[in-house]
Amino acid sequence: MAGDPPVAVAIDRGAGLERGFAWLAATDHKKTAAKIAVASLFFFGLSGLLALTMRAELAQPGLQFVSDHTYDELFTMHGSGMIYLFLTPAALGLGLYLVPLQVGASEIAAPRLALFGFWIYLFGGLTMYSGFLTNNGAGDDSWTATIPLSNSTGTPGVGMDLWVIGVALAVFGSLLIGITILLTILRHRAPGMTMLRMPVFTWTMLATVFMVVASFPVLVVAMGLLLAERHIGGIFTGSTGSIVYQHLFWFYGHPVVYVMFFPFVGAVGEVVATFSRKRFFGYRALVVSLLFFTALSMSVWGHHMFITGAVKNQFYSLTSQLLAVPAGIEYLDLIATMIGGAIVFRAPMLFALGFIVQFLLGGLTGIILASPPLDYHVNGSYFVVAHFHYTLLAGSFFGLLAGVHYWFPKATGAMLRERLAKASFWVLVAGTNLTFFPMFFLGYEGMPRRVANYEPGLGDLNLLSSIGAGVIAIGVLLVLANFVVSLRRRVPAGDNPWGAQTLEWWTTSPPPRDNFTSLPEITSYAPLLDRREAAEEEQERRAEVPV
Amino acid sequence: MNGGAKGGGGPLLAWAAIMIALGTMLAIWSEGSATALLFLVGPIPLILVAAWNRARPAPGGPRLLARVSVPVVVIAIGAALAAIGLTGGLWLVLIGGEVALFGLVWLAREMTLERRGVGRR
Repeated sequence: MAGDPPVAVAIDRGAGLERGFAWLAATDHKKTAAKIAVASLFFFGLSGLLALTMRAELAQPGLQFVSDHTYDELFTMHGSGMIYLFLTPAALGLGLYLVPLQVGASEIAAPRLALFGFWIYLFGGLTMYSGFLTNNGAGDDSWTATIPLSNSTGTPGVGMDLWVIGVALAVFGSLLIGITILLTILRHRAPGMTMLRMPVFTWTMLATVFMVVASFPVLVVAMGLLLAERHIGGIFTGSTGSIVYQHLFWFYGHPVVYVMFFPFVGAVGEVVATFSRKRFFGYRALVVSLLFFTALSMSVWGHHMFITGAVKNQFYSLTSQLLAVPAGIEYLDLIATMIGGAIVFRAPMLFALGFIVQFLLGGLTGIILASPPLDYHVNGSYFVVAHFHYTLLAGSFFGLLAGVHYWFPKATGAMLRERLAKASFWVLVAGTNLTFFPMFFLGYEGMPRRVANYEPGLGDLNLLSSIGAGVIAIGVLLVLANFVVSLRRRVPAGDNPWGAQTLEWWTTSPPPRDNFTSLPEITSYAPLLDRREAAEEEQERRAEVPV
Repeated sequence: MNGGAKGGGGPLLAWAAIMIALGTMLAIWSEGSATALLFLVGPIPLILVAAWNRARPAPGGPRLLARVSVPVVVIAIGAALAAIGLTGGLWLVLIGGEVALFGLVWLAREMTLERRGVGRR
């Protein structure tokens, strides 16, 4: 099948439109993904500013800058922004860009649906944030909006309504994007690209969209019911209503954590294999473990409800502890890929190693939370805050940056500045650990989460944490500065600057509209590595032939 | 360009089977708790996708794709306005609905023109 031309024939309908507007309505999956990247970065910036404001408030005991009510809005919109509007869409956007390229497709399946998904997500985000413009302020019941706090008595006002509608829109948009990725994998793979020849990243995206398709509709329904509860009432009534809402919410709420994790495991897997100059270790074991990992991760939502006494603790504790098995297999694969490899410590590899080490801390403290007796002790404390920030920021965000630094040359045709990238990595490592490690001790000391004020004796640890937040902000600014500098003063990347193994590196940087003008023969998940090895063997064979 | 795509439903069905097994386990353990139903509802869309993919594999040959689709953006604006109208008032729902309807008609026209373009090729 080598050399097959692309099958999609694009109709040039954008020629008459203004260039900027044409970009906004472009159906090319790469442009839709770029729009998602810009929007999610915007929401990351907004949500990050809210976090800095919170940390400024918490730098000292007592109330300094904001009232209790404003603080409630800040942590609600920070958490909601980071989960619904930044990490989840960023993960799906990465998949939207890369999956067609990795499976040899000339376009995403249903490109209009993906475009529609992006706009619905964007309007959802803007709707959510527009609550700040209303009289009662934005939503202030945390990103979970637990009943009865979030009903019309607990939180009156339009701001909370806008939050509910915004969440429903944003999650629905993400669901649509996920569906297009699933259909692309199922229906648009290149000849020879069997399921067991798909790259590691694409497999992690497939696992991700399983969870998206299975769990995201439940949250859209839950938000619809919550809005009806706020306006009509009688839906989530009494203690049973609260429990039913929590079941619906956490059926989405836990899998989404893995939606924000798996794509970055895939990205890190690609980076580790490329920069170890080795084939990915245990490919099939990874595929099987991903299937079990995703199914198990759909089955643990009840561990968020241990303290309600309304769930079967044994079942959810067992499934939560079992998560350590597939997670262990993935870690084993990543480490075994590095063993014996000729490791090159370029910036993407550093971010990948940062992900591997720091996520481990988040994962191991998750095992503590999966145990009901220990969870009873630390639930609602800063221990939980430290745990999920180690998984999402110290882990997933570093994985995202590993992927961004790795694929930036492919997407833009320009190399990032290596020194600046390494500097931003070390600043981010310092900032992340300075911010979140003290929170384990704060939680152990009994500091509750979601409060603007605290015991004076906890001031030193909080001050450290606040200084760390400032350091993270500097690290993020360095990353952004690197993007700007590298795009303005371009160092051409070439098609495959890293010597990578997978199909997306076969095409030009950046890829053309239809992605490929030809395709190599696909005999494994790493067709470019296969070609290099075949060429080396041929060279050796020729060298051995006596003259 | 969809070689081997028929086999793609395998992982979906395997995953759905694991989900159903876990749901059954929870149902037995919790003596018929209704929450186990979530497990059974979750994989249904994936089973349907796998069945559809098996019954109707992606057609080969050229696909025509519009580079730009403005009506999609118009539909999204209409849908978002209608959704915000759920708290803003019926007038906003109606305006949003009309905008979305206008976008749908525009999209139908765009797709009809595309199909005619295929015919001419």
